[in-house]
Amino acid sequence: MDKTKKRFRGLTGMLVAATLLLLLLPVCALAAVNGIPGPTFTLTVKTDHISTADGSNLFLWGYADGTNRAQYPGPTLIVTQGQPITVTLKNQLDVPVSIVFAGQTVTASGGIPGLLTREALKNDDPGTLAVDESTVTYTFTPTEPGTYLYSSGTDPHLQVQMGLLGALIVRPSAATATMPGCDPTDPTRVMATAYGDCRSAYDYETLFILTETDPALHTLVELGRIEEVKTTEFFPVNWFINGRGGPDTLAPYKASWLPTQPYECFTRTTPGDRVLLRIVGAGRDSHPFHTHGNNMDVIARDGRLLTTDPAIQPAPSLTAARAAEVGVVPDLAVSNFTNNTLPGATYDAIYAWTGRNLGWDVYGHDLANPALDPAICDGGIPGRVVNGFDMVTREWCADHGNPFPVARTDIKDLTFGQFYSGSPFLGSAGALPPGEGGFNPNAGFFFMWHSHNEKELTNNDIFPGGMLTMLVVEPPGTPIK
Amino acid sequence: MNYGKTFFRLLLVALLGMPAVPASAEVFFQCPGYVPLTDRDANSDGVLRFRDGELSGPFTLPNGFTRDTLPADQDVVCKHLVAGDGFVNMADKTVDHGAGTGVGKLQYIFGFANATGTPDPQVMSDFMLRMEFPAPTITLRQRDHFYLTLSNVGMVMRPDLFDPHSVHYHGFPNASAIFDGEPMSSISINMGASLTYYYNNVEPGTFMYHCHVEATEHMQMGMLGNLYVTPAQDAGPAINGFTRFAYNDEDGSTGYNVAYPVQIHNFDPNFHDASMNVQPLPFAEMEDLYPMLNGRGYPDTVDTTPEGLANSETGNFSQKVNALITAVRGDRILLRISSLATTSFHTLTTTGIPMLVVGKDARKLGPPNDTSQYIRTNSITLGGGEAVDVILDTLGIPAGTYFLYTSNVYHLNNNTEEYGGMMTEIRIVP
Repeated sequence: MDKTKKRFRGLTGMLVAATLLLLLLPVCALAAVNGIPGPTFTLTVKTDHISTADGSNLFLWGYADGTNRAQYPGPTLIVTQGQPITVTLKNQLDVPVSIVFAGQTVTASGGIPGLLTREALKNDDPGTLAVDESTVTYTFTPTEPGTYLYSSGTDPHLQVQMGLLGALIVRPSAATATMPGCDPTDPTRVMATAYGDCRSAYDYETLFILTETDPALHTLVELGRIEEVKTTEFFPVNWFINGRGGPDTLAPYKASWLPTQPYECFTRTTPGDRVLLRIVGAGRDSHPFHTHGNNMDVIARDGRLLTTDPAIQPAPSLTAARAAEVGVVPDLAVSNFTNNTLPGATYDAIYAWTGRNLGWDVYGHDLANPALDPAICDGGIPGRVVNGFDMVTREWCADHGNPFPVARTDIKDLTFGQFYSGSPFLGSAGALPPGEGGFNPNAGFFFMWHSHNEKELTNNDIFPGGMLTMLVVEPPGTPIK
Repeated sequence: MNYGKTFFRLLLVALLGMPAVPASAEVFFQCPGYVPLTDRDANSDGVLRFRDGELSGPFTLPNGFTRDTLPADQDVVCKHLVAGDGFVNMADKTVDHGAGTGVGKLQYIFGFANATGTPDPQVMSDFMLRMEFPAPTITLRQRDHFYLTLSNVGMVMRPDLFDPHSVHYHGFPNASAIFDGEPMSSISINMGASLTYYYNNVEPGTFMYHCHVEATEHMQMGMLGNLYVTPAQDAGPAINGFTRFAYNDEDGSTGYNVAYPVQIHNFDPNFHDASMNVQPLPFAEMEDLYPMLNGRGYPDTVDTTPEGLANSETGNFSQKVNALITAVRGDRILLRISSLATTSFHTLTTTGIPMLVVGKDARKLGPPNDTSQYIRTNSITLGGGEAVDVILDTLGIPAGTYFLYTSNVYHLNNNTEEYGGMMTEIRIVP
C-alpha cells in the first residue's frame, strides 16, 4: 500500500521516542496501575485539549487532580476497601457538573440538586450564604474491592463523551491486598490480590479504559455551539485505551508530549506470571477486547468475583476455585479470548502465558551443548526432573530441546514487524535487514491486545491505531518492576 | 550464547523429511512426509492427513516422533493456503446493478483459497484472482500437528499493491509470536513466496482464522474463515449414544448428531468498490450494508449447489460455504458460531428452537462432568473475535423449517434489498 511508508515513518518516530524512554527509565512500564491514592480527593472540572494519534487534537472537559491540568481519562482513584472516601468536586465550566460512582452508595452535599446527584456550579452564589454552589462533597465507603467507573451524572450523554470519566480501583483491605502462599512452587512469594485471596492473585496489573469520540461533537462544544450538538447523530472515528489512541498507548506514563493523557497500557510480563486486566467500558459503545497470545480468565464483573463461594471476604478461601493457566481462579470464571466489554460495565481478568504444549522449545535450547544452556528445566536444582511448567526456569518441560518445526522463509521474502526480534525464540535476537525491527530490546514475544471491531483500529480514517496496545512476554529474569 | 550455531543445528534436525528452503521468491509447501506428485488429498477433505494415508514419506516431528513411532492419538495434518484477491456476488439479485436484475452486486475481495496438493510451480498461475469468501473451513482434531503453508499470489486487480499476508489462528492457546500472524510482532509473507506455520492443537473448540496484515482492510475485504478442533473424546467410546462432542466433557453433555460452523461477517460495498477502483479507503465511514453468514446473504445462505456459487466476473466458484442447517427430528445440532464482523455486534436467535450454550471462546463452560454453567437461552450476542458453541436440541420440535437469524432486524436485508441478509434456515425432517 502506498500508505505503508508514511505509516511506518509516523509510527517509527513515536516508537523511537517510546523505546528510548523505556531504555532510560528504571521504572519503565506498568507493573501496577498508576493513579492517586485516597482517602481524600479534590477533582476540578476544567477544559483542555488531548492529542489524537492521527496528529489532531480534541477539546476536552476533564477532571483534574487539584490544581493540575484536566486529564483524559480522569485521575484513577486508588483506595482501600472499608476506608471512608471523600471526593470534593470543583468546576471551571459554565455548565453544572457532577460525579456518579457506579456501584457505590454515595452521600452528596453542597452544590445544587441535580437529577442523578448533586452538581457543582462554577461559582458560589453570594446571595445564598448557607450554601456553596461551587463545591460538592461526595462521601462513600467502598465495601467491596474491585474495578469501578466514575463519570459525570449531569447531561451524561454529552459530558461523558466530552471526557468526564475515570476509574476507581478499590484494593482489598490491607490484610489480604498482598499475601504469600499463592505460588505452589514458592509459598513464601508475596503476590498482590484483587479480591483478597489467591483466586485473584497477580504479579502485574493493567487498566484498560475503553472509550470512543466523535470529533465533530467536540468541535461544536469548543466553538461555543453546544446547542447544536446532536448526540443522537454520534459517529465515533477515534478510539482510545486510557485516553490515548494507538500507538500512543505504548508511550510512557506521563509522557511530556501528552500532558493531558498521562496513562498508558503497555503490559510487560514473563512466562508464568499472572497479569490482572482491569477492563472498563467507559464509552457508549460495546467493544470486543481481544488478547492475542492466550485466553484470559474473566474472574469478576462489576466489582464482584464470579464464584459460588458465598464467603468471599475476608476469609482467603480456596474453595470454589478452578485451575487456570497458572494458579487458580474462581469457579465461575469464564475463559475468553475476546471480552465483550459493555458500556458501563467493568471486568477483571487474569492472563498468563506459559508456552504450554507449543511443541517446540521457545528458548531454542541446544541439547547437544548443555554447558551453553544451564536452564535445563530442573526447577533450579540440578538433577531434578520437573514435569509440566517449571516456575524457576519458566519453560514447558516437555518441549525442552524440541527443534523449531519448520524451515524459515528467506528474509528477502518477508515483511518484518517493528516488534520482531529477528528470531522466533524467546530471548534471542536475530539478523534483520537495516531499519527493520528495533523495538524489542529484550527479544520478548509481543502480542497485540485490541478491540476486534477492526474499524476501531483507526485514528480518524488512518490505519493503524485506535483501540490497540501490546503485551510483551519478556524472557524470564527481565526486570519488570 | 551462540544461537547462530544452535539455530543451524536445529534447522538440520527440523528439515529431516522436508526439502531445503529456496533462496529466492518461490512458492514452497512444507509438510512432513509429503512426497510431491505422489501424495494428494484423496478424500477431498481439504488437507493432507497422515492417518488417511495421504503422507507417504518419512518424517520426524519436533517432539521426536517419526511416522513409525507417532502415538495413536496424534496425527500430522498439512494444508496449503493461498492469499490474494478475487470476486464474489452478494445476494441482492432483485436489484439492478447496471446489467439488469438476476445477479447480486459484484464485490471485489481479498481472500484465501485452498491449494493443498497443487504442485508448487503451478500455484501462482492456478490461483491468481481465484480467492474465496469465506476462506476455506479448517477442521482439525485435538492432537493434530498442523503445518499450514501460506503462499501470497499477489493482487491481480491491484498491481499497485504489494501487501504481504499472514494467518492469525485466532484463540490458539499459548501462541508463539512467530506463528501468531500479527504482523507488527513477527513476520508476514511477501508476494510470490511462502511461509509455513506450525500448530500443536491441544485445545478443542471453535476458533476462527483471518489475515492480520492491515487487519481492518484485509478483514473487511474478506480474508477470514471458520476453524475448529474436535476433541480427543471423539475417538473414545460412545457416551449416551453420542460419538461426537464439542468438548472433552466426560459426561456426553456436549454430544451432538450434526454440526455446522456459522460465521458472521459483513461487507461495506463502498469500501470494496473503493478498493477495486484504487480510491482512498473509507475507514472512518466504514458501514456494513451486506450482512452475511458464511459469506452469503439469505437466500444464498441456503443455496446448496455443491460446487458453490460462481462469481459473475470470472466464473470462479468463489463462495463455497453455505449456511443451511439440516437435522433429523430428535437430533442435537451443534452450531459453532463465530463472528469476525469489523464494525458491529450481532445477536442471533432462532424461531422456536431453544439454545444451550456449552462453550465460549473455545472453552467448555464449567469443568468436565459438570453442566451447571451451561446457559439456556434463546439468543447469543457476539462481537468480532468472539465464538460460542450452541446446541439446539430438536427433541420435541415438530418437523419443518425454522430460521437462525439476527434479531438486529435492520440486518435482515441485502443492502437495499429489504429481504434476506443475516438469516439461514434450520430444516428439521421427520
